[in-house]
Amino acid sequence: MQVNQAHPILTDTHTFLKVEHLVVQYGTIVALDDVSLEIPANRVTVLIGPSGCGKSTTLRCLNGLVGIERGTITYLDASVQGLSQTDLRRSMGYAIQSVGLMPHLTVEENVDLVPRLLGWDRSKRKERVDKLLALVRLDPEIYRKKYPNELSGGEAQRIGFARALGSDPPVLLMDEPFGAVDPLNRILLQDEFIRIQRQLKKSVVFVTHDLEEAVRLADYLVIMKDGKIVQADTPEQILSSPKGEFVERFLGPERSLQRLTLVTADRCMEKALSGLDSDASAHLPDCSNLTYWQVDEDGAPVCGYTRSEGSIIQKPITSAIHTVQIYSSLKDCMAKILNSGLSAAAVVDERGRLCGEVRFEAIQQISIL
Amino acid sequence: MRQRDATDPFKLKLASIVLLLFLVSYFLPFFLLRENRISPEIANGMGALDLRCRIFLLLPFLLVALYASVKGDWLSDMLLSLAGTLGLFFPMMVLAIVGGRLSGDASSPSRYGPASGMYVYLTAVLVIFMMKPKVKAYDLIGIALVIGSVLVAGYRGSYDRLGLLLEARNFGTRLNQELVAHIRLTLISLAISIAIGLPLALVSYQSRRAEKIIFPFLNILQTIPGIALLGLLITPLSTLSRTFPLLRELGIKGIGNTPAIIALTTYALYPIIRYSFTAFSSIDQSVIQAARGMGMSPSQVWKLVRFPLATPGVLQGMRVALVQTIGNATLAKLIGGDGLGVLVFEGLGQASVDMVLLGMGLIIGLTVISDRLFQILITLTTPRSLRAKGVGNG
Repeated sequence: MQVNQAHPILTDTHTFLKVEHLVVQYGTIVALDDVSLEIPANRVTVLIGPSGCGKSTTLRCLNGLVGIERGTITYLDASVQGLSQTDLRRSMGYAIQSVGLMPHLTVEENVDLVPRLLGWDRSKRKERVDKLLALVRLDPEIYRKKYPNELSGGEAQRIGFARALGSDPPVLLMDEPFGAVDPLNRILLQDEFIRIQRQLKKSVVFVTHDLEEAVRLADYLVIMKDGKIVQADTPEQILSSPKGEFVERFLGPERSLQRLTLVTADRCMEKALSGLDSDASAHLPDCSNLTYWQVDEDGAPVCGYTRSEGSIIQKPITSAIHTVQIYSSLKDCMAKILNSGLSAAAVVDERGRLCGEVRFEAIQQISIL
Repeated sequence: MRQRDATDPFKLKLASIVLLLFLVSYFLPFFLLRENRISPEIANGMGALDLRCRIFLLLPFLLVALYASVKGDWLSDMLLSLAGTLGLFFPMMVLAIVGGRLSGDASSPSRYGPASGMYVYLTAVLVIFMMKPKVKAYDLIGIALVIGSVLVAGYRGSYDRLGLLLEARNFGTRLNQELVAHIRLTLISLAISIAIGLPLALVSYQSRRAEKIIFPFLNILQTIPGIALLGLLITPLSTLSRTFPLLRELGIKGIGNTPAIIALTTYALYPIIRYSFTAFSSIDQSVIQAARGMGMSPSQVWKLVRFPLATPGVLQGMRVALVQTIGNATLAKLIGGDGLGVLVFEGLGQASVDMVLLGMGLIIGLTVISDRLFQILITLTTPRSLRAKGVGNG
């Protein structure tokens, strides 16, 4: 069995931009107090902390929406160096909690906004819109001409994300982009985000107040409190050795369980034992705790079998309730395993076909690391 | 589920309102006769008409009673349309018949007009039309037929003795002039108040301090009665025009159209500033935030986001100002200005009801038409998604 690196390590990248001794004041209130930060390129940096800790302010300093009192922001990456403020913003995709889609423009015109500001030609823009809508899995034919008031909350968030990617910017700034959707949609959007980020490898700065979301998405986690950075490190490092009482309290008692959200299913997915027939005992060796999956003609799992104390237990499988996706977290896998009582959770692809399994031991081994 | 049957209480209620109005109109004078334009009126009820006319006038209401007792949406809608159209047609024909009788007889009174009973009757007809869930093509055809027959009757001289028309004929080309003057006063005042009001609205939107100065000031202006404002303007304006002959040459005097335009402009400022300010400040802040975050320059945020989103609200303000100014422009006459107020106030002075009615009728017509036109303009300039807020599954 091979366990992949839980996260792309931060050492194989360079610093995208550098924040030094940043101070921001709103009137007499100090919003940011001497914040220094290095944002890695092509990685997801998550800023997290309780409300009013300055995480959103930090983000909005990066694209100049908030004026800086003291300190410097240095753009080290060649792709954004030496740009004017509006050009800088156009090179940074921006997605916010309330989405902020232009209500008088269609979905197409919204997604198209930054390319239009940049003066791309029409055919290239149309192609881009189709590609982006497909990327966030919304059918361009159906959605292109819709107006924002005809979209559901989740759809609007997807369009907001597509718009942020409009001109294929090297940087994405996301200010609680999934904050306004229900928990179920939120997890789906996170799955989508991970899928898209693996594909596009943007430099992302992501603000959230949801710890689970932060741990799932972050390559580099920055915990803030009262305008200061308390701890900044990889999520693994922070979860295993929190610095100080505040961080420990912030991470909460489920800290060890949270570590499972760090890892996605595909990282420790193994080949599944499967077949069309229901004769499990022929497939399962004696004294093993493997799981045999019975699949239908399309390859979707319908039943799971595992040996338990000499006899074979059998569990019918309902897709989505008992199966996980490639980008689901190990915490999710763990829940599914405990639910079914089998020794592994079935991993299915987008069409619901069995493509592997995550075994209980694999999760156990990850926890030891 | 849609269920309309004979005992539909809604239908019954509406029908009884209409029938009650009809009953009231029966006991009021239906039309009146006058020896000359200022002599006392001789009122005539429906009873003065012959039996045939009375039956015809009753017919629309029999149809409404029938409507209240039938099942079926389609049938009741048709009954309403027929009742409404006939309810417009018969009073017009009664006027034509009475008019025809008057002009054929030299010894009879010289002029006549509709009286309170007919107004109540027509109100009942209006209620009939309002009972319809939707105006259909055949309603428009019906109304067009009524207008057509009225025009034919008018062409044949049946309405020649109608007080309103006699007054209009007396005025001749002056009527046209006053109508044009009224429109001109309105448009000039509106244009000036837009030119002043829009920038003020934008300034208030940009700075809270300006807002704190402008709005209390506007509120005070709004409380000054129109006639008082006109009076107040006489002294400063006449002083100005006496001191600066150039202003006098430009037509700026203490009386006449100038103070009228100033007063009308002042009153129109309120709706324009209030509506525009609200239109701009009700733009969702997150939209502006997103627009800036995506790299729009300040001028692009105005051009691509603020202006398009605020336009419907700003136009609504102009529409309110327009309707209000058309009404207020009537007062211009009091200070020596032109406009349809001339008819109203001269009519009042001469105790000629017909003249007042003619002036008021034209003002109301002008108001309704310009309101409709502006509404169409607003609909055309509003993006599809902003027209019906809250529609869709959002």
